[in-house]
Amino acid sequence: MKRKYITVILAAMLTTFMACDKYLDLQPSQSISEEIVLDNDKNVKNVLLGAYSIFKSADLYGGNILTFSEVLAGDGEIFWSGTYTDIREMFNKQMGAANRDATAIWQTAYRVINITNNVLSAIDVVNDADKGSVEGEALFLRALIYFDLVRFYALPYDAAGNNTQPGVPLVITPTRGISDDNNVARESVEAIYTQIVSDLTRAAAVLPASNGVFATSGAANALLARVCLQKGDYNNARDRANAVITSGVFELMPSYTAVFNNNEKSAEDIFINRITTQDRFSAMTEFWSIPEYGGRDGDIDILDAHLNLYVEGDQRKDLFFFGNGQWRSGKWNNQYGVVNIIRFAEMYLIRAEANLRLGTSTGATPVADINTLRKRAGLGDDYYATVTLNDILLERRIELAHEGHKVHDVKRLKLNVAARPYNDPKLVFPIPFREVEANPNLVQNPTY
Amino acid sequence: MKKFILLFALLIAGVTLYGQTIRVTGTVTDQDDGSTLPGVTILVRGTTTGVVTDAAGRYEINTAPDAVLVFSFIGMQTQQIPVQGRTVINVVLAREIATLDEIVVVGYGTQIRSKLTGNIARVAGEDIEYLPVPSVQLALQGRAAGVFVEAVTGKVTSASRVRIRGSSSISASNEPLYVLDGVPLSMEARNIHGGDINPLAALNFNDIESIEILKDASAAAIYGSRAANGVILITTKKGREGKTRLSFNLQTGFANPSNKREFMDTQEYIDYFRHAAKNADAYEDRIYGDPPGFNNWWQGFVESRFRRYSGHAAILDADGKYIGSEANTNWQDQAFRQAGLMMADLSAQGGTPTLKYYASGSYSKQEGIVVGNGFERFSGRLNVDNQVNDWMDMGLTLSLSRTDVDQINADNAFANPIQLVALVPISPLRDKDGILSNVPVTTYYNGLRHVEYADRNMNEVRSTTNAYMDFKLFSGLNWRNELGYDVYTIKENNRYGELTNTGESTQGYAFSNYAQTQNLLGKSYLNYNNSFGGITLNAVMGTEIQYALLDRTYVEGQTFPLDDFKTLASAGEITGGTQEITEYSFLSYFARANFDYADKYLFSLSGRIDGSSRFGTNNRYGFFPAAAVGWIITNEDALKDNYNLSFLKLRASYGVTGNAGIGNFQHLGLYGVNTYNNQSGLIPTQIPNPDLGWETTAQMDIGLDFGFFNNRVSGEIDYYYKNTTDLLLNVPIPSTTGYTTMTRNVGSMENRGVEFVLNTNNLVGAFKWNTSFNIAYNKNEVTDIAGQDIIDPGGSRFMNVVMVGQPIGVFYGAEYAGVDPDNGDATWYINEKDADGNIINQGATTSRFSEANFIVLGKPNPHLMGGLTNSFSFRGVELSFTFQGVTGNMVHLSGDSYMAANGEWFDNQLRSQLDSWRPDNRTTNVPEARLGYANGVQGRNSRYLEDGSYLKLRTLTLAYEFPRSMLSRIGVERFRVYLIGSNLLTFTNYTGWDPEVSSDFVVSNIRAGIDFYSPPQPRSITFGINLGL
Repeated sequence: MKRKYITVILAAMLTTFMACDKYLDLQPSQSISEEIVLDNDKNVKNVLLGAYSIFKSADLYGGNILTFSEVLAGDGEIFWSGTYTDIREMFNKQMGAANRDATAIWQTAYRVINITNNVLSAIDVVNDADKGSVEGEALFLRALIYFDLVRFYALPYDAAGNNTQPGVPLVITPTRGISDDNNVARESVEAIYTQIVSDLTRAAAVLPASNGVFATSGAANALLARVCLQKGDYNNARDRANAVITSGVFELMPSYTAVFNNNEKSAEDIFINRITTQDRFSAMTEFWSIPEYGGRDGDIDILDAHLNLYVEGDQRKDLFFFGNGQWRSGKWNNQYGVVNIIRFAEMYLIRAEANLRLGTSTGATPVADINTLRKRAGLGDDYYATVTLNDILLERRIELAHEGHKVHDVKRLKLNVAARPYNDPKLVFPIPFREVEANPNLVQNPTY
Repeated sequence: MKKFILLFALLIAGVTLYGQTIRVTGTVTDQDDGSTLPGVTILVRGTTTGVVTDAAGRYEINTAPDAVLVFSFIGMQTQQIPVQGRTVINVVLAREIATLDEIVVVGYGTQIRSKLTGNIARVAGEDIEYLPVPSVQLALQGRAAGVFVEAVTGKVTSASRVRIRGSSSISASNEPLYVLDGVPLSMEARNIHGGDINPLAALNFNDIESIEILKDASAAAIYGSRAANGVILITTKKGREGKTRLSFNLQTGFANPSNKREFMDTQEYIDYFRHAAKNADAYEDRIYGDPPGFNNWWQGFVESRFRRYSGHAAILDADGKYIGSEANTNWQDQAFRQAGLMMADLSAQGGTPTLKYYASGSYSKQEGIVVGNGFERFSGRLNVDNQVNDWMDMGLTLSLSRTDVDQINADNAFANPIQLVALVPISPLRDKDGILSNVPVTTYYNGLRHVEYADRNMNEVRSTTNAYMDFKLFSGLNWRNELGYDVYTIKENNRYGELTNTGESTQGYAFSNYAQTQNLLGKSYLNYNNSFGGITLNAVMGTEIQYALLDRTYVEGQTFPLDDFKTLASAGEITGGTQEITEYSFLSYFARANFDYADKYLFSLSGRIDGSSRFGTNNRYGFFPAAAVGWIITNEDALKDNYNLSFLKLRASYGVTGNAGIGNFQHLGLYGVNTYNNQSGLIPTQIPNPDLGWETTAQMDIGLDFGFFNNRVSGEIDYYYKNTTDLLLNVPIPSTTGYTTMTRNVGSMENRGVEFVLNTNNLVGAFKWNTSFNIAYNKNEVTDIAGQDIIDPGGSRFMNVVMVGQPIGVFYGAEYAGVDPDNGDATWYINEKDADGNIINQGATTSRFSEANFIVLGKPNPHLMGGLTNSFSFRGVELSFTFQGVTGNMVHLSGDSYMAANGEWFDNQLRSQLDSWRPDNRTTNVPEARLGYANGVQGRNSRYLEDGSYLKLRTLTLAYEFPRSMLSRIGVERFRVYLIGSNLLTFTNYTGWDPEVSSDFVVSNIRAGIDFYSPPQPRSITFGINLGL
């Protein structure tokens, strides 16, 4: 009797043993494999959108790139009272090389750069009609990020020097595998700026004038104006700013209050990060605002030294509010509001400053441009009869307050932060400790 | 189990008939107290004929005069007595003590302890029964040599860290494989809220018969690619033949935090911070030379903050100047509470010779010592074994449990109740309307609002089933088939009212998270047992297939009309949702042969081939073999039956095991989805590595098992060396590639150690005293990390790193050198290194943190640990206690850089900070208090590192068991009353809450020994009764 069973059993067992390999070939459900991504128009556009999806992170244009510029140079005008020690170290100029935020910005930035490099590598499969837009947006994002990287991680650009000081590693091809070739050294600051200007010039030429919330030719020109101003190239700064102003695409919002806390891109916004309710919240709200609006505890206090810059009647001062025991900036009280990255008012400031420095009046006189902004702030039609460079710089400080320009202006204008001169190495982020460890070709910044 | 096998064999042999019978009578008594034993089973050996003693312990049975009677009773040593024609046989049964002949569960079978060649620690179910701890892992603390168990925090649902013979991996899991009645358990808990939880919390460990911990390669290799961290086999109770025995247990008690810290009160706080503000102004004058605008700014600022933080309790003078606060809130007391514990268990065990069952139901309610935390568990179990006929057995083990968890935040959240200690005594608990006060009155968010104005519930359901069919093909050869299914679901519903910080700006917020892991298992194996010519052979060969699927869905929403609406259906806006599906599979073949010659020379060969979806196409199958030899020296003729040296066995094993504990699909190059502007985009997420395989751990073990004085003293000594290569390492790559890490098989790590176990029966007879002692030393060293010197995930807050030549996770930071007696500045040793890495200018210090070079300051895992259990019993009174301790580890009091920060910011400070430097207090370790200026409070700083050694009185049990003679009159078999104390004493120099800590929001292989507002272990006392019918 048993023998019969044995036969059946052994046959069954053999079947079990022959269970084949296919059983081990499982495929993920939320991801797709690399090979099939970059071979068609639709996917390449999706990857471009992917670049924006990282660009929007808190560590980049979700807010920290802007906030940290203010924190690094905010002495006397703002005060970091938050509990995040990495940011407090930044505020106190006591950062270590392993600073979490300096590391996160670097990592996230290069993530976007790699994605844009992937898009650019596959530009040939994009439909002809959209090629310009796809290429231009990728170049724009890459340039935007390199510009912030070189400003945060390298000693400042000096218009009078040859700028051979180390900038950041320049990666413009997509990563396909890991080898020693990935240990890229830092290019000079000059080389980085050259790449940025080249990318933006191309982007401005191929991008459409209108493109929803995405990059436009106006955005490329405006960013180029900002880059040229940082370089002290006032001719190009003036001309690019003037091109944006005369393009007719943008206009100043009727009131200063209307510029901020918008759910959508406004007429004044040249380039934004659009935060939606699907995104957790804006990192600007997180640090600048208070819990009532979705912020932390009010991590950044606005001090009297800043509030005293405003003249009586300046409506821009009205945006400040008293919350959680201190004065706060009211620009970021909508946790799902846009983060204004480049806005139209800045173009007037760039054109005015460049015109004044060059003794020209391309587009308009400096005094006319500044009065345009003062008028919108509720200070009358012709506030100034004449303007000096200091008037323009003060206007810039007020109009663009707490929008991420502070430390870059300090370096450009060779000002001081408390007792530290503009080129103090402590006003530069460390190259992240882990990067120096992972890449033997990276040179650390002085003092870190 | 032994009886089961015996019975089975007898049944196969068939029933022999005897021509003549006599009547045998007698009484069975307990050796301990002389009381009579009702319910003892008496079987005629070789038959199915049997009787049971009556209430007075008497029996009578008809049997052949040359028969052998088998007397058996739970917890007693079975006795076999030849009748030899007698008609009256009185029997005294002795309590069972762990003997060398005990049956030990091994993978895919069982073995007799004396013949083991591998290292297996066994913990009997009765040793951990009714311990008032929330999980089975914690019940193991101190009970097995070389098994380190730590609760990462004192929350009831906290995850635990279990390390068997050290850490063998950096990036993959270091947790052992858990196998419950043959089913490898999924240990993935995909909860969103509240930090790491313990997926085994659903297991009622009162159902456990035994736990076997497979430590060396010979024991574990049969689990192949998942065995490198050791294997924990959990076997639940089986039915026993005989009348149904009911056991009822009821237990109730309370728990308190095992430790509290001392914080400043209102007066101390105000004085201290005025002093800190004054110092800050003086400090600015010192470094900036008193510039305009700085003039005593901090002293004004501190008064304004006092007023703000005092809220309605502020006391002002007639000019509106701040004087003090009416409040003196002890926020620490608000975070803790006395927690109630309640447990009830009912189990039934019984059966006929062919159908046996064990069934149980239990309820457990354990409140946390932290407000808002707690859990309830309902669980049921049914284990059935059925002998269908003489060649087929079948049965199943089935468990179903449900836990209901009151969640609290992970340690790093403001809403973690322990972070209340950062709030200041001058702030009132509630505002004038009775609402819990909050910022701006409190320094930070008042986490009690999360307890009062939010509902955070997690519900876990877990069912583990294993069904088997066992065929007897011919004598000695069995074919066993098993089907296992483990389903584990987590449902979290969190709803935050408008008064919480989460719901404040969103008009109420809610999320719902549902995660289900299903784990299917099929196995089929042959088991062969035979003896011939002095050789005993035991062999196993089979195949196993496993598939696991995780499916998680998540939805969140906000804008609720009223707090009373609890579900997402009432959300004005659904703001997010996601689904995640992931899966893995294993296909395995395994075999083992154990044979011994003349009971003296033991050999074992085992191995497993594992294939897994987790690994690259170029490296899909791995082979994990092991071999072991043993020599029972005392079975040599010269030493046989020696009373003094009763047992001596030398054994050695070598083998290879693997670690497959990394995520799924890590070998593929992948793009994932991410959104911008509510549109989906694609982002590269992972770089391909088709060569990815498992980590390989080669382990050598040499051991000696000994027994003296007829095994009254017995024990084990083991030395092991584990070398792990091809580490699955998330190798840091330059971020300029767009990626930060790549999982590769590089690097190596080793563990070596010694384990010693000693069990003694110090006193036998009416007064019994048993001692069980274990101690283990382990040295862990990272020997290669992809050619790099250091992996530092630390940032500025944490300092655990991986470094070549050091144990995993060492603390790497600046070495604190105390306070400069001249100015109160914190100082550090510069520890400047020359080109060879040697420290030069030893002793040179600096007051600039950035000038101090980081050095290795200590390690987070102990190198020495042990446990000691003593049990005494006398006439039914039983006292036993277990001490457990560790040493050699440091703990980073990461939270102290806020609460012991000499007044750097407004967080309430520990009273230890009152000793800060003053001109009249120059010799101190606490730097000068300076508001707003970091004076020695940097995170990566040995100022906040302390010795984490401890010795704890883990459990203390005092019980009384009423004599059977007394109980039998009322028809009760067992009645026991007991008191159990848990964590009653802790001896440590650690100044934080509890040195047993790894903070639930950061805990990982590398980040251990971190104390960041982590609650201590509970100290509990419970009273229970146990009734057997």
